[in-house]
Amino acid sequence: MGQNAPLKIKEREFILVGLFLILTAAIASLFPNIASPNPNGIIDWISIPLVGFPILSSIVLLAFASQEKASRRTKLDSPVRLACLAFSLVPLGISTALFFDWLAVIDWTNIGYNSYVIKHQYVWIESIGVSWHVGMDGLSFPMVWLTSILVPITIVMTWDEKNGSAYHPLLLLMGGSLIGVFVALDLFMFYVFWELTLIPMFFLILKWGGDERRYAAQKFFIYTFTASVIMLLGLVTLYFLQPIGTGAHYGELTGRTFDMTLLIDSARSGNLDGGTWLGIDMQKAIFLMLMLGFLVKLPAVPFHTWLPDAHVQAPTGGSMLLAGVMLKMGAYGMMRLPVAMFPDALMYYQDLIMIIGLVSLVWGSIVCLGQTNLKRMVAYSSVSHMGIILLGIASMQPIGYAAALFMMFAHGLISPMLFAVCGAFKHHYHSMEIGSMRGMAKWSPFLAVYMMFGWMASLGLPLLAGFVAELMVLLAYWPTYGWWILLPAFVLVITAAFYLWSIQRTIFEGGDEGQPPESLHGETPPDISGHENVAMFLLALLIVLFGVMPFIALDMMNSWSNNLFEMVFAQQGGA
Amino acid sequence: MEIVTAFSDGFISSLTPELVLFAGLLLVILIPNLGNSTFRIPSTGIRVPWLLGGKRFALTSDPRLPGYLTCLILAASFILTILSQASEASVTLIQSDSGMDLLKVDGFSRLFEMLFIGAILAAALASLDRLPTNKSEENDLDSLYNNRRQVDFYILLLTTALGMSIVALAQDLFILFIGLELASLSTYVLVAFQKESKAGSEAGVKYFIVGSVASAVGLYGLSLLYLWAGSLQFDELSAAWNAGAPALALVGLGMVLVGFGFKVSAVPFHFAAPDAYAGASSPVAGLLATASKAMGMLGLIRLLVVIAIPDGAEGSAVWLVTLAVLSAITMTWGNIAALGSDNPKRMLAYSSVAHAGYMLAALTAVGAWRWGHVAAPVGFAEAILGAIAFHLVVLVAFKMGAFLVLALLEMEGGASRLSSLAGLGRREPLLAVCMFIFMLSLAGVPPLAGFLSKFLLIAGIVKMSIGDLSTTVAQDGALSLGSLHWIWWFALLIFINSAISLFYYLRVVVVMFFDEAEDGRKQPLPKGFFIRVTIWGCAIATILFGIGGDALVRLCFAAVENLQL
Repeated sequence: MGQNAPLKIKEREFILVGLFLILTAAIASLFPNIASPNPNGIIDWISIPLVGFPILSSIVLLAFASQEKASRRTKLDSPVRLACLAFSLVPLGISTALFFDWLAVIDWTNIGYNSYVIKHQYVWIESIGVSWHVGMDGLSFPMVWLTSILVPITIVMTWDEKNGSAYHPLLLLMGGSLIGVFVALDLFMFYVFWELTLIPMFFLILKWGGDERRYAAQKFFIYTFTASVIMLLGLVTLYFLQPIGTGAHYGELTGRTFDMTLLIDSARSGNLDGGTWLGIDMQKAIFLMLMLGFLVKLPAVPFHTWLPDAHVQAPTGGSMLLAGVMLKMGAYGMMRLPVAMFPDALMYYQDLIMIIGLVSLVWGSIVCLGQTNLKRMVAYSSVSHMGIILLGIASMQPIGYAAALFMMFAHGLISPMLFAVCGAFKHHYHSMEIGSMRGMAKWSPFLAVYMMFGWMASLGLPLLAGFVAELMVLLAYWPTYGWWILLPAFVLVITAAFYLWSIQRTIFEGGDEGQPPESLHGETPPDISGHENVAMFLLALLIVLFGVMPFIALDMMNSWSNNLFEMVFAQQGGA
Repeated sequence: MEIVTAFSDGFISSLTPELVLFAGLLLVILIPNLGNSTFRIPSTGIRVPWLLGGKRFALTSDPRLPGYLTCLILAASFILTILSQASEASVTLIQSDSGMDLLKVDGFSRLFEMLFIGAILAAALASLDRLPTNKSEENDLDSLYNNRRQVDFYILLLTTALGMSIVALAQDLFILFIGLELASLSTYVLVAFQKESKAGSEAGVKYFIVGSVASAVGLYGLSLLYLWAGSLQFDELSAAWNAGAPALALVGLGMVLVGFGFKVSAVPFHFAAPDAYAGASSPVAGLLATASKAMGMLGLIRLLVVIAIPDGAEGSAVWLVTLAVLSAITMTWGNIAALGSDNPKRMLAYSSVAHAGYMLAALTAVGAWRWGHVAAPVGFAEAILGAIAFHLVVLVAFKMGAFLVLALLEMEGGASRLSSLAGLGRREPLLAVCMFIFMLSLAGVPPLAGFLSKFLLIAGIVKMSIGDLSTTVAQDGALSLGSLHWIWWFALLIFINSAISLFYYLRVVVVMFFDEAEDGRKQPLPKGFFIRVTIWGCAIATILFGIGGDALVRLCFAAVENLQL
C-alpha cells in the first residue's frame, strides 16, 4: 500500500495551470479573429504558429520542469528535449511550406516594398495606437526561415547539454522571440520582442556558460539594453513627430500610430520629389539614435566589446543562435527603419557608415588573427563579417543591399557551423586553445573536416554561401567608392591566406608524435558524437546548397532591394 | 456634478468605501474586546450582560481574528471602489453647510483610492503570514508579543487606508493635510513596529523625526498660503494663483512642497527612506514604497498642477526649473546609491527614490505645458498625468511583490544582505521567477507593466517637448532637436538612468539563480499561503498589465480628465 502511494499533485501545479490558462485566455482575447483570413485570403500563419506557439510552449515546459526536484528533473531531460525538437519543427514546417506555396500561393520575388502579402493586424493597445501587426516580405522571410531552421539544428547539436529540461525550452523561447522581431510590423511590438530576446540569452549565458559567465551575461544585457533604450527614445520621438492621423490603428488618445507600414508611408510621401521628411537636422538626430541601437546589436567597432565576452562564455547553443540570428537583428533593423525612412540622413552619414564597416572588417580580422582562443577567434571573425554588411548598406546600390541581405543569411549559416565546431571541440577536448588542436585531423577526422569546411566557408570559398555575399559587396562597392575597393579586397585576401596557413599548421601538422593534447590528460581524444555529426552535416549541406544555388534566397532579396531603391531613393530626385 | 451636503441625503451612498473602512475600524477595535463581562444594575442583584471586557469568548480572543477581519474589510472596500469606478462616472461634490468644498468623489480620486486600498490589502494579506499568530503551548516571548499586538497592527493599517482615502478625496488643502497626517502617523508606528530589533526602533525614530519636521514645515507653508489667499480651497487657491502669485505664496508653496517631497522621497528629503524601509517589516516597507509614495505624488499633482498652474500666462509655472533640477538629481542619486547598497531593502528604497525622480520629471513636463515655449493643445497634460497615475497603479504590483518576496525570506531570519537571496532559484524556482519578473519590470523591460508605464511617461514627456510641431512639420530642415523643448532631454536622462538601474536589478537575478544558498538557508522556505498567493497575484498583474494594459491605461486617462485642466 505504502509503496504505491497515489501520485500527489501539488497545489502549486494547479496554480501553474491556472496561471497559464489565464495568460493564454488574456492573449487569445487580444486576437478574436485569429482564424479569419486577411484581405489576400491567407490565414494567419504567423501569429500563433511562428511566434506564439514556440514562446508559449517553451514557457509551459519551463514552468513544469522547474517544479520538479533536482533528482527527478534529470529524468525529464529526455522527454522535454524531444518535445522541444518536435515543437521547433512546427515553425520550420510552416515557414518552409509558405516558401513552397503549400499553404498559400505567394510570389516572394514580387512583393513590393512596404507591402506584405501575408500580413495580419489586430488591435492591441488601442489608446496609444499599438497593434499586433505581423507580416513578411523579402527582407524578413529569409531571416524567419533561418531562425526556424537554426533552432532545431541547435537543439540537435546540444542534445546532451546538462539541465536539458531548462536548456532546450530556452532555445525554443529564443527562437520564438527572434521570429517575433522579424515579423513585427509595429514599432512597439518590435521593441517588445527586441528586448524579449535578451531574457533567454541572458539565462543561457548565466546558467550554462563558462567561468566568467556572470560578468559576460551582465555585460551583454546592460550593453544591448542601454543602446536599445536610446533607440526607443528615437522611436518615441518619431512617433510624436509623425502627422496626426485618423484611422483604425491611430491611437485614440494620441492620434498617432506605431504601425511601421503607415509610418514608412508617411515618411515616403514626405521624402518625395527631393523633400526631406521632418527636416534634415531632425532626420539626422533620429537616424543616429536608431543606428546606435542597431550598431551595438550588430555589433560594429567600437561597440563590439560585449560580443567576444558573450560568445566565449555562452554555451554552444547560445553562441549558435547569438551569432546566427541575434546579430542579424541589428542589420535587419537598419534596413527596416532608418534606411527606409531617412534616405537623406543616410546619404549624409554614408561615408561614416562605410568607415565604421571598414574599420570593423579590418579590426575584426586583425584581432581575430591574434587570438589563441578558438571561440574568441570565431567571435571576432563575426565582427568583421558584420562590417561587410555595413559596407553593403553604405554602398547605396541595390546590389549592395541584396549583398548585405545575403551576407546576413549566409553568415547565419556559417557562424553557427563554426560555433558548433567550437562547442564540439570544447566538449571533447576540454579546451578552447588553438594550440591544443595540433594533430586533430588524426584523432578526430570528422571534427577536423567540419572545422576546415567552416573556415573555408567563412573566408569565402567559391561555391559556398559566403562567397556570393562577399563578391556582391565588392561589386556594389566599386561604383560608389572606386579604387578604395582595394582596401576591403586586400583585407579579405590576406585574412584568407592567413587562415589557411594557420589551419594547416594547427590541424594537420603535429600530432605525429602520438601525443594527445595535454588538456585530455593522456586520454585518446574521441571524435564527435552522432547528434553533433547530424547537426553539422545539416549546416554544411545548407551552406553548400545556398552557395551553389544562391538564387533560392537571393531572388527575393534582389527584388526587395530593387523595390527599396525605386520607392525610397529613386524618387528622391537627388540620388 | 451632484452636490451633497455633508451628513445629508446621498452622503452615505457616495462614500460607501470610506464608510466601510470606518465601520471596519470600529469593529476591529470592538470585537477583540467582546467578553462575558456583566453589569450589575446598582442596588439590585440583576446582572445584565455587558459584553465589553471580562473573559473573552473563544472566537473573539483568537489572535488571528483581527487580521482576517481587516483583510475582509479592505477587500470589501476595494471591491466597492472598483464598482464605483466601473459604474457611470458620476461626480459627487461634498460640501459643508456653508457651501465649502470638502470632498469630491470622481474617477480620479476613486482611482487613487483603489490603488491605496489595494496596496494596503496586499500588505495586510502578507502580514497574516509575516506577523504570525501562535496558538501553540510554547509561550515564548516573541509569539506572545505577536499575539498581543495583532490588533494594533491591523488598526494602524486601517487608519492608514482611511487617511489615504481622505487625501484622495480632499478638495481643500487643510482636509488633505488631515488625511496626510492620519496616514503618516499610522505609518510612523508601523515602521517602528518591529521594536524588538534595533533597526526597527531606529528606523521608526528616524522616520518619525524627519517626517514630522517635513509635516511641520508643510503646515507652516499652508498657513502662509492661507494668509495670502484667505482660503485653502483648491478652486479658490487656483483662481488666486491665476491672478498672480506674490512672494508670500511662493514661499508657502515651497514649504508645502517639502512636506510632499518627503512623502515621495525626493532628494534631498529622502535620507530617512532607506533606513525606514530597511528597518520596517517588508510588507510595511512595500506600503511605504507604493501607497505612501502615491499619496505624496497625488498631493504634488493637486498642489502643482491643480493649483499652481495658471492659464497660459508665460513664466508663471515658477516651480518648473526647481522641479526639473530636483527630478534630475533625484533619479540619478537614487540609482547611484542603489548601485552601492548590498541590502536588498535599501536597494529597493533607493530604486523607489529613482522612480520618484522619473515621475517628478513627468510633472516637470506638465509645467512646461504652460511655460509658454510650447503651445498648449488640449490633452497634453492629461497624457502625462495619466501616465503618472498608471505608473503608480502598476508600481503596486511589482514593487509590493518584490518586497513580499523579501518578506518571505525575512520569515526565516532576515533579508538584510543580497546574499540572503542566493540560491532562491534552486530553493523555490517559482518564487525566484516572480522576483525576476518584478526586477525586470522595475527596470522597465518589455513586455512587463513597468515597461508600459515608463514608456507612457517617456511618451508624455516627448509629446510635450514636441508640442504641436508635428502639425506644422517643417520641410525646409528647420526642425532639429534644438527646436524641441529642453524637457526632451529628461526623456534621455530617464533612459540612461534605467540603463544604470538595470545593473542592480540584474545583480539580484544573478544572485538568485547563480549563487549557492547561504548556510542555514538550504531548507525549503517557510510556509505562507497568503503571502505566496499575493506574490503570485502581483506577478500575474505585472504581466497582464504589461501585455493587455489597454483597459487600465484608458481608466487612468479617463480619471485624470476629471481634474479638468
